[in-house]
Amino acid sequence: MANASGFFSPPVPRMRRNIQPSIGIFRSGFCFSEGNFRRVVCSSGIEGAEKHVSPSESRLPKLVSKGCKLVGCGSAVPALSVSNDDLAKIVDTSDQWISVRTGIRNRRVISGKESLKNLAVQAARKALEMADFDPNDLDLILMCTSTPEDLFGAAPQVQRELGCRKTPLAYDITAACSGFVLGLVSAACHIRGGGFHNVLVIGADGISRLVDWTDRGTCILFGDAAGAVLVQACDAEEDGLLSFDLHSDGEGGRHLGVPINDNKTSDLLGSNGSVLDFPPKRSSYSCIQMNGQEVFRFAVRCVPQSIESALGKAGLVAASIDWLLLHQANQRIIDAVATRLEFPQEKVISNLANYGNTSAASIPLALDEAVRSGKVKPGHTIATAGFGAGLTWGSAIIRWG
Amino acid sequence: MANATGFFTPSVPCLRRKIQPSIGISRSGICFSEGIFRRVVCSSGIEGAEKHFSPSKSRVPKLVSKGCKLVGCGSAVPILSVSNDDLAKIVDTSDEWIYVRTGIRNRRVISGKESLKSLAVEAARKALEMADVDRNDLDLILMCTSTPDDLFGVAPQVQRELGCTKTPLAYDITAACSGFVLGLVSAACHIRGGGFRNVLVIGADIISRIVDWTDRGTCILFGDAAGAVLVQACDAEEDGLLGFDLHSDGEGGRHLGAPINDDRTNDLLGSNGSVLDFPPKRSSYNCVQMNGKEVFRFAVRCVPQSIESALEKAGLTASSIDWLLLHQANQRIIDAVATRLEFPQEKVISNLANYGNTSAASIPLALDEVVRSGKVKSGQTIATAGFGAGLTWGSAVIRWG
Repeated sequence: MANASGFFSPPVPRMRRNIQPSIGIFRSGFCFSEGNFRRVVCSSGIEGAEKHVSPSESRLPKLVSKGCKLVGCGSAVPALSVSNDDLAKIVDTSDQWISVRTGIRNRRVISGKESLKNLAVQAARKALEMADFDPNDLDLILMCTSTPEDLFGAAPQVQRELGCRKTPLAYDITAACSGFVLGLVSAACHIRGGGFHNVLVIGADGISRLVDWTDRGTCILFGDAAGAVLVQACDAEEDGLLSFDLHSDGEGGRHLGVPINDNKTSDLLGSNGSVLDFPPKRSSYSCIQMNGQEVFRFAVRCVPQSIESALGKAGLVAASIDWLLLHQANQRIIDAVATRLEFPQEKVISNLANYGNTSAASIPLALDEAVRSGKVKPGHTIATAGFGAGLTWGSAIIRWG
Repeated sequence: MANATGFFTPSVPCLRRKIQPSIGISRSGICFSEGIFRRVVCSSGIEGAEKHFSPSKSRVPKLVSKGCKLVGCGSAVPILSVSNDDLAKIVDTSDEWIYVRTGIRNRRVISGKESLKSLAVEAARKALEMADVDRNDLDLILMCTSTPDDLFGVAPQVQRELGCTKTPLAYDITAACSGFVLGLVSAACHIRGGGFRNVLVIGADIISRIVDWTDRGTCILFGDAAGAVLVQACDAEEDGLLGFDLHSDGEGGRHLGAPINDDRTNDLLGSNGSVLDFPPKRSSYNCVQMNGKEVFRFAVRCVPQSIESALEKAGLTASSIDWLLLHQANQRIIDAVATRLEFPQEKVISNLANYGNTSAASIPLALDEVVRSGKVKSGQTIATAGFGAGLTWGSAVIRWG
């Protein structure tokens, strides 16, 4: 599978992150109120995990602060690249029409033996490699996707392919294009509030499977990809999630979705003569349905507000942020948000020209390219925001590395 | 929609839980290491949220501990009840065969205008009512489901139907029968580590939609339902999540799933003569596929170990726990686990005779019944465990109320 930039990536400095055993604590939450210490054990289990509290130690270990930092990233895209001209052969559109209105020139589509799982695993491996990290030290894998290869979830299969032998918890977060930002925040919460140490957050989607390829309004927009970030527990001083601001508004749900097709046509007469629909007929999901104009308006209205709110909570201003990294849905949305927040163009990360809207993968995919190209350096701050179906939107101020 | 017990619930004391504003802190994580205080702001945004410290106060608010407690529950099931005898009319089975092997007599199946969303909303409303918490005080809704009405997730629609006006974040966790326990732990992590205060955890599934009703091996097992619990921030002394232990093992994934049907039959010859499969054909999900014997063996092997691990982390023993509440998959699994852990029958909660395996809904559905019947009282401890597709399994030791 080609990597995100299409060629062997230039070597990037490894961000060596060996696990620092916490002094006096393992995976336990510690709380105190008004000077009274009380040990609250709320740990997750991994076979063979070290216990850092020996029986001879005090039952009230020293309180240790918890932050989380982003220590590795990776991404993967399918080999098949579909250009606007390719699409013009199957629907009534043109390269100019698409690129002017969306900024997209090409997108990648899963084909042959490729799968979402494989893309996710590829991205995950690269993130682990960058962080010089053993997959067996993972304690949580969050797979942010709306297009799993199994309705019961995709994460455990990714865990298996990665070769994790210590049965780390792995599950899916289903939140469309906001998935990755929600996953990052969830990772931070699990580290800060649940005693987890090494959380892999993967954003991956194969929207090509849900798109109606005869609908020129939607099929031009989407592509397939996966991206991953390794989030690791650390001391408070190194904390890399400076703030966040997350929302949903189901009122807008009708503007963007993949609703179920309920076929209630199988009837069975009940004993009292009434019609029962049992057994239920098999349902299926329809293709993506979208009111592009409404979604556009929602994004340009809600995203700047959300980022400003996150900046406020972090005690920062846009001018002090190094990069703006939005969900890569449409260049005009990116431009409108950047303008509203007064981010200069050179600080705006954009790669959707090559990949289209890859849903939950778009942020980590763009982040990975920007890191591996050397643009984003350790210590740089990034204002990132996801937005999409739900409607759900969320922003976070993060520090890379 | 009938409630879980089929009649108007006897009045239960409301677990009145008004939100206690934290002194000196709003949604911020406070960390310190070795005596050095540093304010880490990691808050979520809710319009109009109170700020608990005025600009004139110290920039380093007093550290306040965070626990979480379960303050309300609710459930909902469809009206249509399908008995084993009803099933014997459509597949080759019998009431005795099903009952002896599974413990199931009846299950509920959605019909008519019912939907996953409507069941989830009903359950949620009841939980909020019991807790006497206003829906507008929610700041997070976690919908644990593998059978959403929309592939992009159903939580925002539940949020909308509940009438939440403050755009609380709402998203889906997809983890099959383990979903609810993972959702509870996620809620706790968001409260302890992310500043959230009122988290609604809903477990809901409509497995009837994805079951093959001609397959007597699976169609007899499942039912539809929804259950909800409100988890609220509190002081450490009142903390209600005493220990947990969560795992996944993708190696067992082949034993239970609803995998995608990738129809790669639409070929397009590429310019170099190779076959490309673009555009992709629409995919769909297969019916539930299960190796019952392997799943059974997995459950009786992994669940007792996991509960023992959670108990140990909580510093408790099985004999000190008031109730055992397992995912309601099969009475023989429940019995085997109870026996292994030496839980006496009278401490084991079971209602699957009436509802079958309702996937992510099973634990909150059973919990709600025993709370409303008065069996489970405030202050009692429960060892709970979910297990299923992934394979994923997880246990938690919780205190009710």
